[in-house]
Amino acid sequence: MIAARILIVDDNKTNLKLASDVLAFGGYEILNASDAESAQQIIETSRPDLILMDIGLPGMDGLTFTRLLKADEATRHIVIVALTASAMKGDDVRAREAGCDGYITKPIDTRTFPAAVAGYLPVRA
Amino acid sequence: MYWNGGAERLFGYSSADALGNSIDSLIVPPGHVDDLGRYRREALTTGFSTFETARLRKDGSLIFTVVSNKAVYDAEGRAEFVLITQKDVTHLKVLRDAKLVESQYRDLLESTPDAIIMANQTGRIVLANSQAERLFGYERGELLGTLVEVLLPSRYRGGHVAHRSGYFGQPRTRSMGAGLELYGLRKDGSEFPVEISLSPLQTDGGTLVMSAIRDITYRKGIESALQEKNVELERANQAKDRFLASMSHELRTPLNGIIGFAEFLSDGKPGPLNDKQKEYLGDILNSGRHLLHLINDMLDLVKIQAGRVDLALERFSLSEAINEVCTGVHPLAVSKGIDINVTIENGIDFVTLDKPRFKQILFNLLSNALKFTDENGHVGIDVTTVEGGRFRLVVSDDGIGIRAEDIGRLFTEFEQLESGTSRRFGGTGLGLALTRKLVDLHGGEIGVESEFGEGSRFAVILPLAMKGIAT
Repeated sequence: MIAARILIVDDNKTNLKLASDVLAFGGYEILNASDAESAQQIIETSRPDLILMDIGLPGMDGLTFTRLLKADEATRHIVIVALTASAMKGDDVRAREAGCDGYITKPIDTRTFPAAVAGYLPVRA
Repeated sequence: MYWNGGAERLFGYSSADALGNSIDSLIVPPGHVDDLGRYRREALTTGFSTFETARLRKDGSLIFTVVSNKAVYDAEGRAEFVLITQKDVTHLKVLRDAKLVESQYRDLLESTPDAIIMANQTGRIVLANSQAERLFGYERGELLGTLVEVLLPSRYRGGHVAHRSGYFGQPRTRSMGAGLELYGLRKDGSEFPVEISLSPLQTDGGTLVMSAIRDITYRKGIESALQEKNVELERANQAKDRFLASMSHELRTPLNGIIGFAEFLSDGKPGPLNDKQKEYLGDILNSGRHLLHLINDMLDLVKIQAGRVDLALERFSLSEAINEVCTGVHPLAVSKGIDINVTIENGIDFVTLDKPRFKQILFNLLSNALKFTDENGHVGIDVTTVEGGRFRLVVSDDGIGIRAEDIGRLFTEFEQLESGTSRRFGGTGLGLALTRKLVDLHGGEIGVESEFGEGSRFAVILPLAMKGIAT
């Protein structure tokens, strides 16, 4: 079975590494990007199945980037899960409105994170 | 009616204005009672009558006149008409009134701290104590006989004459211009804010008005300084809230890494650990989680204070929520050998509140109870109904208790009782302040009973079903 390919977009290097390593141990293929621009290049070349999107990115923010991806025929099918910095009321609503398929609040719980991500992955035929 | 030039000068009505009108409707002040009929009859029978009274001028001001009625007879000796002459004695009246009040009140009024002005019905000053003369910058006796309006800025004078005439219609003690900004005018033309109270004074010479005038420049100055200070404080407070909110956010980000990696490592995911390594990683995790908890409390408190917390009401089972919180503190309870005894009155099941916030309230009270109770102590949770569709949640313990003098500060931010306690039990003293704010948000009440050394009972009263916009 081919491992699902997950792109993590987060400008905080430590958080990015933590999420990457935890998911890598869960058997996923992980791609990293620290902003929307580099994420766009990776998406074009590598076609991830799911994107974990930090909302507070420098430059183009995560929600705007999500809207762009969901408006594009070529990338619309990619599952996008927002990573929100705190369980701020309204952030979940804003993430959904932008087109996110779900959201996970930071700080991530390393014990439940892989399962939470798996729950959002499209079931493969 | 014939109306001569002298009448025109005295009353302000021209002959054309006056003719055809009843003389009484023109110049008798409204509400003024004179037995005019008696004086006219007297004039018709005896040929002459005279009396002194107040009269109204066209401009609304009052004067005192001596009225003489003289009957004029026709050839057959029948009275043909009455010749009424009126002489303006306003100034004489002022002098008489002044003499009257001087002897009765001067000494008394000189001894009060307030400036006192007395005026008669015509609005002329009959007495001004020296405090009043000083306040308005006049020489001794200089104000006597002048219209009180001379003490007002010109923009208020017209209105004042009408108010003053009205006051004599219904004289009673009251403050003047309640709710308005009043100003006095000094002789040198400068103005100052005043507060004035009026009271009627009945004398043999008729009703006088006594005004006590207080210069409130100093008070106004303090008021506006206070107001500015308040605005400043409000601004500083908002800056503090913004600072705390952004600091809390910034502090949590690196904590994610600390807690996350420690958790990942201690779970042995990247490789096996020896016992010491596991223990130390556990210590890092505990400290990290504690720090995160404190930061979350601080952020919550700031958000509530800034009014940025909306309750998300939902219907949930009270017993379930209580169980969930108990499960959360179970490890701590077990480690200290403390039993948590839960009793819920029959019939209380579902409530409508903000569930996470409710759990936070109970969690704070429960973890406090566990923290301040010695090993093998007892902690209880009791839920009972209260009238008015509410319920009472009591968290009791048999721990160290609280000194009576400390109870008042218990729910205030950053007040942890005695520094020794803080060192022994940890915490910032935010927990109870936050709990109280959460209870307030639900329209509830929180209170505590405690005896030092015997334990504490924290009681929270909340509505069973909170009304609001359920989200």
